[in-house]
Amino acid sequence: MERSFKEEVRSLRLGEGETFHGEGILAVTKALLQSGVSYIGGYQGAPVSHLIDVLTDARDILDGLGVHFESCANEAGAAAMLGASINYPLRGAVTWKSTVGTNVASDALSNVASAGVRGGALIVIGEDYGEGASIIQERSHAFAMKSQIWLVDPRPDLPTIVRMVEKSFELSEASHTPVMLELRIRACHLFGSFTTRQNRAPQLSRKRTIAEPDFDFGRICLPPATYAQERHKVEVRWPAAVKFVREHGLNEVFEGRLAEIGVIVQGGMYNTVVRALQQLGLADAFGAGDVPIYVLNVTYPLVPDEVAEFCADKRAVLVVEEGQPAYLEEAINAILRKADIDTRLVGKEVLPMAGEYTGEVVLTGVARFLEGSAPAGIDLVKISETFEGNTRPKRIAAELLGAAVPARPPGFCVGCPERPVFSAMKIVERDVGRLHVSADIGCHTFSTLPPFNIGNTVLGYGLGLASSSGLAPNFSKRVVSIMGDGGFWHNGLVTGVANAVFNRDDGILIIMKNGYTSATGQQNIPSSGKNLRDEPTDMRIDAAVKALGVKWLRTIRSYSVATMARTLREALKSKEPGLKVIIADGECQLARQRRERPLVAKQLAAGERVVRTRFGVDDDVCTGDHSCIRLSGCPSLTIKTNPDPLRTDPVATVNTGCVGCGLCGEVAHAAVLCPSFYRAEIVQNPNWWDRLVERARRAIIARLAGGDRRSATT
Amino acid sequence: MTTLAQRPISILIAALGGEGGGVLADWVVTAAVGEGFPAQSTSIPGVAQRTGATTYYVEIFPTKLAALGARRPILALTPNPGNIDLMVASELIEAGRAMQNGYVSPDRTTLVASTHRVYATSEKMHMGDGRFEDSRIVRAAARLANKSVLADMNRTAQASGSVINAVLFGAMAGSGAFPLPRSACEAAIRARGKAVEANLRGFAAGHDLAAGTSEELAPISAKRAWRTTPQARLRGAFPAETHRILEEGVSRLVDYQDAAYAELYLDRLEPVLGLDSADDDWRLTAETGRHLALWMSYEDVIRVADLKTRSSRFARVRAEVGAKPDEPIAVVEYLKPGLDEICAVLPPVPARALRTLVTRLGLADRLNIGMHVKTSAVFGFAVLRSLAALRSWRRRSSRYIEEQNRIEAWLGEIRRVAAHDRAAALEIAECARLIKGYGDTHRRGWENFRRIFATLIEGCVPEARLLAVAREAALADPEGDTLARTLTELTAAPDKSAANLAPPVESRLARAGE
Repeated sequence: MERSFKEEVRSLRLGEGETFHGEGILAVTKALLQSGVSYIGGYQGAPVSHLIDVLTDARDILDGLGVHFESCANEAGAAAMLGASINYPLRGAVTWKSTVGTNVASDALSNVASAGVRGGALIVIGEDYGEGASIIQERSHAFAMKSQIWLVDPRPDLPTIVRMVEKSFELSEASHTPVMLELRIRACHLFGSFTTRQNRAPQLSRKRTIAEPDFDFGRICLPPATYAQERHKVEVRWPAAVKFVREHGLNEVFEGRLAEIGVIVQGGMYNTVVRALQQLGLADAFGAGDVPIYVLNVTYPLVPDEVAEFCADKRAVLVVEEGQPAYLEEAINAILRKADIDTRLVGKEVLPMAGEYTGEVVLTGVARFLEGSAPAGIDLVKISETFEGNTRPKRIAAELLGAAVPARPPGFCVGCPERPVFSAMKIVERDVGRLHVSADIGCHTFSTLPPFNIGNTVLGYGLGLASSSGLAPNFSKRVVSIMGDGGFWHNGLVTGVANAVFNRDDGILIIMKNGYTSATGQQNIPSSGKNLRDEPTDMRIDAAVKALGVKWLRTIRSYSVATMARTLREALKSKEPGLKVIIADGECQLARQRRERPLVAKQLAAGERVVRTRFGVDDDVCTGDHSCIRLSGCPSLTIKTNPDPLRTDPVATVNTGCVGCGLCGEVAHAAVLCPSFYRAEIVQNPNWWDRLVERARRAIIARLAGGDRRSATT
Repeated sequence: MTTLAQRPISILIAALGGEGGGVLADWVVTAAVGEGFPAQSTSIPGVAQRTGATTYYVEIFPTKLAALGARRPILALTPNPGNIDLMVASELIEAGRAMQNGYVSPDRTTLVASTHRVYATSEKMHMGDGRFEDSRIVRAAARLANKSVLADMNRTAQASGSVINAVLFGAMAGSGAFPLPRSACEAAIRARGKAVEANLRGFAAGHDLAAGTSEELAPISAKRAWRTTPQARLRGAFPAETHRILEEGVSRLVDYQDAAYAELYLDRLEPVLGLDSADDDWRLTAETGRHLALWMSYEDVIRVADLKTRSSRFARVRAEVGAKPDEPIAVVEYLKPGLDEICAVLPPVPARALRTLVTRLGLADRLNIGMHVKTSAVFGFAVLRSLAALRSWRRRSSRYIEEQNRIEAWLGEIRRVAAHDRAAALEIAECARLIKGYGDTHRRGWENFRRIFATLIEGCVPEARLLAVAREAALADPEGDTLARTLTELTAAPDKSAANLAPPVESRLARAGE
């Protein structure tokens, strides 16, 4: 795992009335234990990976409470875990990244939602929308509506988040419906504090197991039960949920002086709205302000009476709802219409329809709303001046900078084992021409960015190969598909490989075997060799692929660029029909460094002989064309001002970040680049033999060595 | 009861993935909590942290919890333009990005930023020089920041045997815009318990930086000093403005071949000087001299072997890889000589013979032998040294003869055009910049140069502007697509350079290139 949570885990033990300091997602984890869950599952993915990581480190606490935890094969598996709560009063929680994870989970979700639950079922989703998101931009809201799962969107401060987790279980049980708790990226990584309660051991658990199975045809998803379930949703569960939300005051109203206007906001957007009001001088540091605010900590279902009450005596109300479609705005409009309330509802006309609602966006929207609604008792001139003042620096900066500063998207780490594969591909493309590459989800998706720009489509996690099946038969050259080992086990094994073999598809699949789901923080997967409990697993990608009937299979060390290029050419030209699989084998460098650095440090301290490898560039041999960089993009292979006074273009240089992965040399060879690269092996704590040889060599070489002839004159 | 703060102190930290920005944010929050202030931080980690630009946002409410009673400030999760008190950037472009996003405002923001550069891929992969102009950012900072601490904190970190986030933390604490005392910050570093001593050193260094100089700008890494060896003929025959470059050129060629070769260099430049004038500081002579020196010292096996086996080189390598004096190092060269490299050192006749033979056998591209030569070992060193010794033979080599022809053709055009239009002649001289590198890179550069030459220069009086455009196009992409497009556009355009084009076949240059 990329990050150890041994420290944070201690805060999961906190008892009654103590203070928890930590990240939002850890607070959620603590809240789960305070709610007496019997089981927890999920699939890693930012921003909720930490929930899984921390529980992995918290095994003994879970064992103590009798809580079962497992990291699932994929989100569908995680959602299916909720089946435990259908027949039995077991509280359970699962987590994943949304919307992609929810897409994968949706089959099981529909069924759980239809059958209904006895035990509280909570789905913690990381809403990966906006800055820092690594996926397609969609809202999870639609899933809640279509399957009738309640959607909780808590105000982003830890006490509220924790309370909402606890209340969600009660809501779920009161309405026999699973509940989604949505946390945006920043809320997940929000560092704050809250007062803890004692962890609750579940009524039924691995310690106190269920005696008798429960059979109730009404809970089975098969007609005619499904018809009854569909009616039960709207006739019983929905009203029960609305009643619960209202009676327990899950939504909040903050009164304000300007009673003729108001703001209805998703819980998650509350702080941003308050900040906008503070900047415009309409709220104090504690949120107490002039504008009444109705906070929807539960965004589905809405509570029509609450909405009507809030809007009734207002001229205009602003709805702050991130993303599209504008479900809330439309629903609220409908509620007002039915209640015959003629309050003017303002929303997407002053706020953007799509995209993250950052502070700047909301500030602009609120300012425009105020100008439009012009309530009595505020100084519009002052407001527009404040607004102007806040946005002016941006315009000045644009003038002074002249051009936009270079973008810096994420990319492959120093020494990443996936980079060389794309170097090889780019070299091959030089003589076979551009290839169509179906990319996949994972760090390897960075191949689509400069300097490689390799990868024509991305269809979803583990779907690299599947997304070639329609194109390959219609393409002149063989289509290349990429898949990470994470995606392979997530679903690529079946959706991709089995499908391709079954349909006798001809194509090339490159599987990046770096040992973990690296992009999400190096969680173990079947082929890691160990599960999250550190128990050995003997599951191999090559064996699995062979078992499915793949004949053409090569495993290549990913740093061997030349061999990789040769193998790829072979696969492209080969007469052999059917799927050709190349496993690019190289461990995630982050994981490797994390494992090896401490060891090396120990050896050095103990005075043991350690050889350190570094690459370098002779700046007088480099001519500053940067071909090597266009074939690598390694952060540690960079440029510096040319020390040669006659040359103006910068030369390549290797900075101290180099981990000596060897790619530079491999590329220089494979691409027949230039002779300016060298590899240096530095012997730390040399023994007497090293010293002797070194001394001898230096003596002889000193005699042979050439000097600088520049002192000569004409 | 103490008076309550009006608003929180907002701190935005811009860093690159893997620089420890998260740790820095944790230090800040820990320090704030330690002081009893309400504090909150948010970040956008995940895949965004894989080497890319990322930010951490912290808000501290500068009234102690004790004084707040039951009240709690509402702290924001995202930074707002015009609302940042302390903007911290671990690298210069990130400081620029912060300003671009409106996070640095004159009335309020203290900017703490390291002036060192970590180049973005788009800057690095350019075929010429794609670097963003650093000075623009420094100028903008001076205009936009209320107060700024600008310094090469990367260097400070290395000097203090620490890491940049610790130095930044110190600079923040010393900037005057930070609401927490030094003691609280140091306590936070200790509390985390990792590399405490090193981090405290870095913190102290950063703190001094901020307290002392507030506007120190890191010098853009200085170039190697110009040599000024007295060179009689040069001093006599050429105007002072040209000495800097020409003296370097002369000594470069003495170093590359011998004194006679340097004489040839000056022989070639004198006629150009004759066509040049003092009006624009003899730029034509100087720039032609720059590119001529580089072209005449073209990189062949002999040159590379020579450069790699100099005593000065080993010292440089040791320094670059940070080897301690007592640590032996092995240096391995990645060489892959092929048919071209072999033919280059042979005389024209055998070279041509070998080439035809090999091509007939269809081995042209397969002859490259990848070699790992250990120049730190006696044998490997001796091999390269003996290759370097071929210098005396160089004049007989086919590559030498070829390059001299090409050079003469190029100079010929410079002289011809200079008579009508010195600006255009200068552009022709500049075109030599396109020819660099080894193997394919060199071939490609030469091809681009030749296409521009044949299309826009030979047989006509070229327009300086068009040549500049074409040269930029040649540096736009390795595949030469942009150049091809540009040349067709330029020649399609109804101007005189297009009017009388000489077909490449008749090109002297093309012949020289055969």
